Amino acid sequence: MSTTYRAIDWNRQKRLYDRTLGGVLLLGLGTFMGISVWVSPNITIETLLLRGSAVSALLLLHVLLCIGPLARLDARFLPLLYNRRHLGVTLFLLALLHGTFATVQFHALGDENPLVSIFTAYGRDYRVIADGRVQLSHFPFEPFGIAALVVFFLMAATSHDFWLRNLGASFWKALHLGVYLAYGSVLVHVALGALQSERGAVYPALLAVGFAVVAGVHLAAARKERRFDHAVPRAERDGFEQTCPVDAVAGNRGKVVLVGGQRVALFRHRDRIFATSNVCRHQGGPIGEGRIVDGCITCPWHGWNYQPEDGCSPPPFQEVLETYDTRIQDGRVWVRRTANRLEHRCPGSAVASS
Amino acid sequence: MNDDFYIGYRDESPSALARHTRRLVAAITAIAVGLTALVAGLQTPAEPGTFEYGVKRTFAGVLHESPLPMLHSVSPDGSVTNYLLVGSGKHGLPAFARGHDGQRVRFQGSLIQKGAGILVELNDPDSFLVLASSTAAENRPADEAIGHVVLTGELVDTKCYFGVMRPATGKVHRGCAVRCLSGGVPPGLLLRDVTGGAVVVLLSGPNGQPLQFEVGWAARIVRAEGRLTWRGTFPCLEVARLSLAHPEHE
Repeated sequence: MSTTYRAIDWNRQKRLYDRTLGGVLLLGLGTFMGISVWVSPNITIETLLLRGSAVSALLLLHVLLCIGPLARLDARFLPLLYNRRHLGVTLFLLALLHGTFATVQFHALGDENPLVSIFTAYGRDYRVIADGRVQLSHFPFEPFGIAALVVFFLMAATSHDFWLRNLGASFWKALHLGVYLAYGSVLVHVALGALQSERGAVYPALLAVGFAVVAGVHLAAARKERRFDHAVPRAERDGFEQTCPVDAVAGNRGKVVLVGGQRVALFRHRDRIFATSNVCRHQGGPIGEGRIVDGCITCPWHGWNYQPEDGCSPPPFQEVLETYDTRIQDGRVWVRRTANRLEHRCPGSAVASS
Repeated sequence: MNDDFYIGYRDESPSALARHTRRLVAAITAIAVGLTALVAGLQTPAEPGTFEYGVKRTFAGVLHESPLPMLHSVSPDGSVTNYLLVGSGKHGLPAFARGHDGQRVRFQGSLIQKGAGILVELNDPDSFLVLASSTAAENRPADEAIGHVVLTGELVDTKCYFGVMRPATGKVHRGCAVRCLSGGVPPGLLLRDVTGGAVVVLLSGPNGQPLQFEVGWAARIVRAEGRLTWRGTFPCLEVARLSLAHPEHE
């Protein structure tokens, strides 16, 4: 959290994250280049860089896409999520390196502007059906790479919280969901490009396994979420809805419950139960999976803080969560279905000591 | 209390979580490096070739512009070399070397070579000189006719194939091949046999003219029919008919 603009709010964990990322990338690129030169001694340095950046970017994209759902399935993946935008910016730089090398090597120094040549060199091959036959294998692959690069650029350029704040959370989130569009474009780019030149079953199989892993972790996370959202509605009384037993909310920990079909975060702090919206004002993180740290609700994604009593971030921060009135009856927590007005101070419900 | 709760802006990660993260990163690294090694190891090896980029040599001989730009050079010991000529970048014979058909010239350029096929990139206009009239020994030798043939292979640009790009074939190189052929680099037909052996036949048009063709067919499998000859160290096909091959040949 920061009240002033800083390009990167460096801290020890961030430095560690970036150093690790850099080290793994260098190890991967070094491995690729070393083995490439070994199996193909005549390969040019341009081709090495072009292919090395492509393979690194593709692997990084798969890791990046898996982190989100894996963190939903197991909170121990959250340390990878915290600086995920650094992975995104690195991915963009690798893709830019690949795209620049490819454009210069394959389209520059000719009789056409290279940026025009990328789209026009293949002439009639944009026709999927020619001579009465479907001919996908000749369809141009480079425009799909360009499309992915544009999405990666937009995501990298708007990855800073400055843009999140100024574009608005909904628009920002929608823009960054474009990563799935980019992933689709990358798959087509590879399938119509490299896989048409390199024969054999292993490369297509690897691409299929990668897709299966990405799809699999997303489906598993979606299944978990869906099961939660379709829980049987509980009793309602005086505008309050019955939720979990009081003992299910551990001290200084959160718990997500359904109230009126919406997710609400319960927290137990100093033997009182508080309820807030489950959606962090920063990037929509699941507040209820967070903790109370130093007296503040702390989001598990990026550590944004809110006071349990009024949902306000501690001064000088200005973010506010909606709060809900609670009551404890029959050993269970009851939560009012309608949220309080913003910044409404809510004392919480005292938990009777046993 | 918060022994397993990660807060990124704190200096330390909880110890148990840090251990798990280290194991996780090690596993991701191992998988990524393993996959990278697998992908790298399965690449089709690039064919040999040489491009002496930035190195200039002096060449002299009789320049023949058509149907394919070549320098017919005879060394003092009488050995003959035919150099296929191209320009810098993705261009064919440069303008400064045109209009000198049949004249003895000298120039500096960079060598491109694969096996017996030798090309020269003319990249130094200031070094280009027209010398005295050619001697009889340097005149173009008669082509050695082989016969009428029908050949099926990949349409390639000769500059890349003979050493500038490695690899220089297939779909990923297609954009480059289109630009080279569009820029006037002589086209070639890459023929492969079942043992992996390969030869490129230079393509020219009928009656000593350059070949007119659809450059968009670059890197596609085409069928060429015509008169096959040997021109120095290069097999050349005077193409009477050129078409895209049937898909089953691709």
